[in-house]
Amino acid sequence: MKLKKKKGQSHEPLSPELRATLPKVNINDLVVSIKYYVDEDFAHIQIRDHSVCTRCATKPCLDFCPVQVFTADAQGKIMVGYQACVECGSCRIGCPLKNVDWQLPRGGHGVAYKFG
Amino acid sequence: MATKHTFDAIVVGGGPAGTAAALTMARSGLKTILIERGNFVGAKNFFGGVMYTHAIADLLPDFWERTPPFERPLTEQGYWMLAPDSVVRMTHKSEHYKHEPADAYTVLRAQFDPWLAEQASKAGALVVTRTAVLRVLQDSKGKVIGVRTDRPDGDVYAPIVIIAEGVNNLLTQRLGLIKNDLPPRFVALAVKEYISLPAKDIQARFGLTGANEGAAIDIFGDATMGLPGTAFLYTDKAGISIGVGMLLDEFIQHKLRPYEVLARFKNHPVIQPYLEGGKPFEYGAHLIPETGYDRMPKLAADGVMVAGDAAGMVDALHREGTNLAMTAGRMAGLTAIKAHQAGDFSATFLNQYRQDLENSFVLKDMKQYRRMTDFLDTTPHFMGTYANFLNDVALRYFTAHGIPKRDMERQIVGMLQERRSFFGVAQDMVKLLRAMRG
Ligand SMILES: Cc1cc2nc3c(=O)[nH]c(=O)nc-3n(C[C@H](O)[C@H](O)[C@H](O)COP(=O)(O)OP(=O)(O)OC[C@H]3O[C@@H](n4cnc5c(N)ncnc54)[C@H](O)[C@@H]3O)c2cc1C
Ligand code: SF4
Ligand code: SF4
Repeated sequence: MKLKKKKGQSHEPLSPELRATLPKVNINDLVVSIKYYVDEDFAHIQIRDHSVCTRCATKPCLDFCPVQVFTADAQGKIMVGYQACVECGSCRIGCPLKNVDWQLPRGGHGVAYKFG
Repeated sequence: MATKHTFDAIVVGGGPAGTAAALTMARSGLKTILIERGNFVGAKNFFGGVMYTHAIADLLPDFWERTPPFERPLTEQGYWMLAPDSVVRMTHKSEHYKHEPADAYTVLRAQFDPWLAEQASKAGALVVTRTAVLRVLQDSKGKVIGVRTDRPDGDVYAPIVIIAEGVNNLLTQRLGLIKNDLPPRFVALAVKEYISLPAKDIQARFGLTGANEGAAIDIFGDATMGLPGTAFLYTDKAGISIGVGMLLDEFIQHKLRPYEVLARFKNHPVIQPYLEGGKPFEYGAHLIPETGYDRMPKLAADGVMVAGDAAGMVDALHREGTNLAMTAGRMAGLTAIKAHQAGDFSATFLNQYRQDLENSFVLKDMKQYRRMTDFLDTTPHFMGTYANFLNDVALRYFTAHGIPKRDMERQIVGMLQERRSFFGVAQDMVKLLRAMRG
């Protein structure tokens, strides 16, 4: 079978050797440096429908979120630790099934960079 | 009964685009409100980053006397092509960059943006923070008449609204000025760490004579594991800004974690010595719209204009965004002033803003590089292949002792052909040139 190469899909997979050069990072070591005004009463990032996530083969949100807001629990259910969110917008755009309900935190809440 | 809050103009977002718009309008006497959701103006704003004084001077001719919080002037700039264990450096350092004010400075946005907002406030704008705009209010014909905020009694009215909400342009989308979100191959995700380091160490490592010199280096190749993207190393006063950015699509396709790519880059044998002993002060992340000229939203409709990242005004090739944003905000503000004079807030009148941008570097540059995102999109091997190639060539060139020079040259040509067919190389070059020429 001949696979047709579509524009923008010319991703050759990374070699395992190259992937092995990625160091393990404990995300908490990075997140502690960020200042937040956490809104305990309003989760601005939510999964629209958890059953959709079970159909999501690659679950890219677990990796691309820069502060690891998305994690999978023992049953594989996606958990959202919105408190660490830096409001970048990647999950809104990057979730292949458009299953992230992405809102702004309420005024005055969320990340507050000291340096930026 | 609740009072109706009415202004001459409303600006949403306190980044360089919005603040420039508010400052311009307030200075001319318009009753202007700038609404920012952050705890303070700048709290949400995060970039590399380098600011260009031409855009600040157009907005505030006497900006230098107002002591902006700049970090270091740029006296050396350039590119490093990184291979896994080596680097080819192409940088330019010149005494010509040394004048006050300089052409470009590194800045920290959580410090610069509040300063700019203070200038807007001094010009008479009402700057309201900790307030998110939930939606834009329209009349029955669709004309924009104000905004709804998340404050109690929070509707605010004005005949003109300037939206400068940044890359997450939810309001722009809801108004139908752009159909939907950009796909993940037209936005880049960047992560950065600000690392504190004594000024004297920075100066010694980068070969700078003092606080009057600074360097901004953009880095390709192994920095992003050979994937399309860039990394950067910028000197601040007493710290270093180090980051990596790649198209969001690359992170998705390859299941990469941005902070691991950054950590890998920081560990690179060429990079590591620059950071030695530094204290990590802050980590963060932000998107960069790589919208391109052809995918920009409509910039004006009845009663509304869009400026800055919200409209995709970024020249990713030259890491410029704040200057486009500031210029666009200023031009939107000037158009709003004229609209008030004419009493005409229609889309037709406000389209003058688009015209002004077309005549300025903002849309001229975006037009010139309109094919650049497509180039990176269809040629993802480009950066990795050529960065490694350059390093191998350099190694062969500098260590080819006792080999006839003609043989060495042949070997170098052979090295490139091994990696990609000759036609592949020629095609890449043609594509690159076309993308650059526009
Ligand atoms: C890693 C990185 C490196 C970069 N490097 C450079 C560089 O070196 N030089 C350069 O010139 N540019 C650089 N850029 C690009 C530059 O940062 C942007 O182009 C610029 O900040 C855009 O300005 P803006 O005013 O349009 O948007 P922003 O600066 O994003 O401001 C938008 C503002 O709107 C507010 N807002 C959004 N929605 C609402 C709402 N509903 N209600 C109230 N407030 C709202 C936000 O809180 C924010 O303050 C870089 C970007 C990144 C991410
Ligand atoms: S990427 Fe989207 S659909 Fe897939 S697991 Fe994450 S949130 Fe669910
Ligand atoms: S907006 Fe960015 S930081 Fe927040 S959850 Fe989504 S990907 Fe993570």
